[in-house]
Amino acid sequence: MEKFDAVIVGGGIAGMQAALDLGDQGYKVLLLEKQASIGGTMIQLSKVFPTLDCASCITTPKMSAVSSHENITLWTLAEPKKIEPNGDRFKVTVFQKARYVNEKDCTGCGECEQACPVIIYDDGYDESLGPTKAVGVPFATAMPQKAVLHDDYCIFCGKCARACPTDAIDFTQRDKEIEVDAGTVILATGFLQTPTIKEEYGGGRFKNVITGKQMDRILAPTSPFGGVYRPGDGKIPDSIAFVQCAGSRDKSIGVPYCSAVCCMYAIKQATLLSAALPLADITIYYMDIRTFGKGHEEFYEQAKAMGVNFVRGKVAKIKEKEDGNLIVRVETFGEDGRIEEFEHDLVVLSLGLVPQWYPKGIVNVDIDETTKFIKLIKPMTDPTLTSMPGIFVAGTAGGPKDIVESIISGSAAAMKAAEWLNGKLRDAFFAKELDVKQVTN
Amino acid sequence: MSQRTQENEEPRVGVFVCHCGGNISDVVDVEKVAKTISKDPRVKYATHFMFMCSDPGQNMVAEKIKELKLNRVIVAACSPKLHELTFRKVVAKSGLNPYFYEHVNIREQDSWVHSHEPEKATEKAIRLIEGAIERLTRQNPLKPGKKKTVPHALVIGGGVAGLTAALELARRDIPVTLVEKSPFLGGRVTQIDNIYPTGEDGKDLVDDLIQKVLKNDLITVRTNTEVVDASGSIGDYQVTLKITPRGVEEDVEGLDKAIEICPISVDNEFDYGTTKRKAIYKPYPKAVPNLPAIDWNTCTRCGECLKATNNKGINLNPEFKEDTIRVGAVVMATGFKPYEPLPGEYGYGEDPNVITLPQLIRIMENMDPNSKEFIYNGRKIKKIAFIHCVGSRQIEGVHTPKEGKELNTYCSRVCCSTTLWAANRLKKRFPDIHMFDLYRDIRTYQFYEDIYEEASRNNVVFVKFPDEEIPQVKIVKDDKGLFRIETTDILLRGKTVAVPADLVVLAVGIEPNPIRDLIEIFSIPYGSGGFLLEGHPKLRPVESSMEGIFLAGTAQAPMSIQETIIAATAAAGKAATILTKPEIELSPFVASVNLDKCEGTGRCVQECEYNAIELKEANGGKKAVIDPSLCAGCGACVPVCPNRAITLEGYDIDQILAQVEGMLKGVKAE
Ligand SMILES: Cc1cc2nc3c(=O)[nH]c(=O)nc-3n(C[C@H](O)[C@H](O)[C@H](O)COP(=O)(O)OP(=O)(O)OC[C@H]3O[C@@H](n4cnc5c(N)ncnc54)[C@H](O)[C@@H]3O)c2cc1C
Ligand code: SF4
Ligand code: SF4
Repeated sequence: MEKFDAVIVGGGIAGMQAALDLGDQGYKVLLLEKQASIGGTMIQLSKVFPTLDCASCITTPKMSAVSSHENITLWTLAEPKKIEPNGDRFKVTVFQKARYVNEKDCTGCGECEQACPVIIYDDGYDESLGPTKAVGVPFATAMPQKAVLHDDYCIFCGKCARACPTDAIDFTQRDKEIEVDAGTVILATGFLQTPTIKEEYGGGRFKNVITGKQMDRILAPTSPFGGVYRPGDGKIPDSIAFVQCAGSRDKSIGVPYCSAVCCMYAIKQATLLSAALPLADITIYYMDIRTFGKGHEEFYEQAKAMGVNFVRGKVAKIKEKEDGNLIVRVETFGEDGRIEEFEHDLVVLSLGLVPQWYPKGIVNVDIDETTKFIKLIKPMTDPTLTSMPGIFVAGTAGGPKDIVESIISGSAAAMKAAEWLNGKLRDAFFAKELDVKQVTN
Repeated sequence: MSQRTQENEEPRVGVFVCHCGGNISDVVDVEKVAKTISKDPRVKYATHFMFMCSDPGQNMVAEKIKELKLNRVIVAACSPKLHELTFRKVVAKSGLNPYFYEHVNIREQDSWVHSHEPEKATEKAIRLIEGAIERLTRQNPLKPGKKKTVPHALVIGGGVAGLTAALELARRDIPVTLVEKSPFLGGRVTQIDNIYPTGEDGKDLVDDLIQKVLKNDLITVRTNTEVVDASGSIGDYQVTLKITPRGVEEDVEGLDKAIEICPISVDNEFDYGTTKRKAIYKPYPKAVPNLPAIDWNTCTRCGECLKATNNKGINLNPEFKEDTIRVGAVVMATGFKPYEPLPGEYGYGEDPNVITLPQLIRIMENMDPNSKEFIYNGRKIKKIAFIHCVGSRQIEGVHTPKEGKELNTYCSRVCCSTTLWAANRLKKRFPDIHMFDLYRDIRTYQFYEDIYEEASRNNVVFVKFPDEEIPQVKIVKDDKGLFRIETTDILLRGKTVAVPADLVVLAVGIEPNPIRDLIEIFSIPYGSGGFLLEGHPKLRPVESSMEGIFLAGTAQAPMSIQETIIAATAAAGKAATILTKPEIELSPFVASVNLDKCEGTGRCVQECEYNAIELKEANGGKKAVIDPSLCAGCGACVPVCPNRAITLEGYDIDQILAQVEGMLKGVKAE
């Protein structure tokens, strides 16, 4: 069994930060990422609030630092199947999905993708807005820069194998399980957007009602559309609406909490849209604007000054017109319950954050009953501790967070993991304490 | 890794221009830049690429170095603050001296600021690169010096952030000195008897931390202690501490009595002035250290207290001491203070029943636990109005800043949840009480939404007032209440409403504790509102850009207890990364003196802000000697030397002149 100091599950920004911190302190880390590339949600984003740095500018160097770090071993297409205590340590059974491409030989040239006849729209990097193939490098800045073949779409025609200049395609690869030994584990499995199940908003069927992540893809430098167009018919939108709390603060869909980032990302997208489409009307329908982070209120004020229209009201229903435009019904003010209707040609649902991964059956950590995020057993004094000693949580796996908070919690989890590894935290758990000394001044 | 002897080789420059995914290439014609630059005979390769910082980008640099035997590399991209180091590493890995690399900023200093003049921006990019080529081809292979780290951390501030940071560091086997300015540990959290969202007593939470800190042999705790001076830099600081004596030196009998008979009575800051305390005092029974302390600002040294203790244990004329310690890193955990409203702001100071939220919390703890009614200032409180965002989210033209200060434009983050948490507690204790909540936005983010829901269930009446409006608090003393607050209610389609109240509670915001002295001593950058500034919000969120200084908690920004503790843990982790290594690499960009030219005028000594230069006997005379570990590479000493004896390594005068000339090539003087 290969031995590591720490196994980190999830290669989003939180997991990468934890890996880098531990690696920099000399610990041997295994980073498991379920997708074919690390980077998580952040690498999909356009620019990031509140500084409007381009997301790639911050993420790609971290991805590259992870992949070239002498103390970090990276396994992509890999996820834990079982994490069990093993004496003082843990036994982690890793499920390694077949890539069907020999990583050693693949140069990332993309010939296979050119050759593949299967075109798919999946919820991967481009959030189903752009086509991908059954085989290919996941995206331009993917790490590792290696092709992957999706066996659920592949028709096994063999065209890619013939096109590959280095014979890297290998249909004989099979999924496998590998056991490793780890001193500690950090769970950084991230989030997903709330699913678009809400019938009142079209239940995901309206072409010109898109998700927050789709809007970020449209605005990204690597946009699948190469500009701001609406997906239904390619028209340049001139009246865009954002629906806040579209997947949060709503018991009917099982998400009673506030997702804490959607106000800010909507304001960010509105800001970017006003620069891209100076003539377009942009309206944000909201109940409360929650711009509580450092520099966030100022960002909100700036958006108001740029002419973004903030309307207080709860969106009750969205209807689709024949021309693809949308009628948004808004309860603009609470008490007398007046309802108004507005027409827009593109609507963005500012969806919330739900956990991406459920530990049940894999590792015995508790999850919070109402929110379903991994439960913090000492939320105040030790907010990275799970119910299993030696297993820590980082990033949005423990609750909604923005990027800065995810990075900080990645560093904090790495610190706790390092304390665990040198035995000191374990002593504290089992209260092997020394005598109290006196402080007199 | 062995480096090729690049200094003797002909310069072979490679230039890589980054699109930054459109950030640059939407304005600057990157293709033209690469083409133009490639005409320079020294340039053996010039290209452009979507993201130079990505793996394929970095690999390209490495491959071209190998393939074309490049020995000088330029990447024209974003600010060097972001990625200079990234590429220096690539260059070093490829066997070149890492300082044969030059990072040219064509984003912040070009495409972003000249987005409306693409042609000129393209021209500027070319000229910036031309300049860089001149400098780089004159560069020496610099070698960074090393210095031993002092494996000891200084944590400033004894609240939850400081206690956490100290404990985490000690658990990594790093000795820590924790200094707290006040005589007692624990900070603001001890003033909250019931904290959201768990409902535990802040004192218990803090006490648990304090006990762990006290039990840890590696942590030295010094209360009543301030940092008054420091010299040195990352890895090795000499810090001077001023220790104010406690006055109470021993736990003797009669100390309680001594407090009782002390004739001096002053506002009790622990209760935010809602109660009084003596000049010899203890904020709460279990305060740590548990000995009372004397407040020298108000003590008259009358000696009454000594009567209670039989002249024992108390020393009214003790010595104020100084001490020096050496540390390798500093964690700033100096915390916050609540915003103090201006006189007359929402009636504050005009009627004693206008109080702040922190005062309300103290009043609730000090209340008679058996009382069935909420009596304050002799008045039964039947209606309470809370007003949010006092001293936060201030808008120019609407709010008034404090004298000599800027407006607090930021949101204080915790006051919404704290207010509604207090409202819910009041409702539980006094079910008949009526509560009104005047707010702009309710920001009970993340799981704190529960608190808002509970407040709605508790029939708190919410009134949303417009951002540009200040609710008017009028003292009316009519049968409806002591106050009437007039405001617009957006929830009632902009109707004007009059909210009655017997008590007005101002949800005041968070301001950083005033630490100008520390900011100056350690040269720490700070930003809006006086909060300490992080090196980069995403790349270095818990580090100051002043290396070796780490940020923990509300000194940096408003944060909840949970967020403070995460930040403190992360900051401790970053400090540990430095302190667990025996030495650190110094910047090679330091000043050096040509002893033959130096005449020992000493002007540079005066000019240096970092005390890095000393006049010493050398080469048969007094000469300036520079300590590279203290030199910050600012260059202030270079121009003051009358003999041009000082050079800043990596930026010598010939290089700079050549760089300027390179930029201006072909430009005629007018
Ligand atoms: C539309 C939108 C816009 C946003 N804009 C901004 C912004 O501008 N600024 C900002 O600060 N924040 C923004 N955010 C929030 C930001 O995306 C998150 O804070 C951040 O991405 C969280 O990082 P993470 O590492 O916790 O999670 P993720 O990014 O979700 O990463 C988790 C990783 O774990 C992997 N994983 C999951 N399960 C497993 C498993 N079982 N085994 C192995 N790997 C697994 C996933 O594949 C993924 O790579 C935005 C969010 C959205 C939805
Ligand atoms: S952050 Fe804003 S949009 Fe998101 S759930 Fe909270 S209040 Fe609603
Ligand atoms: S937390 Fe609430 S009360 Fe405090 S400043 Fe922000 S919006 Fe205002």
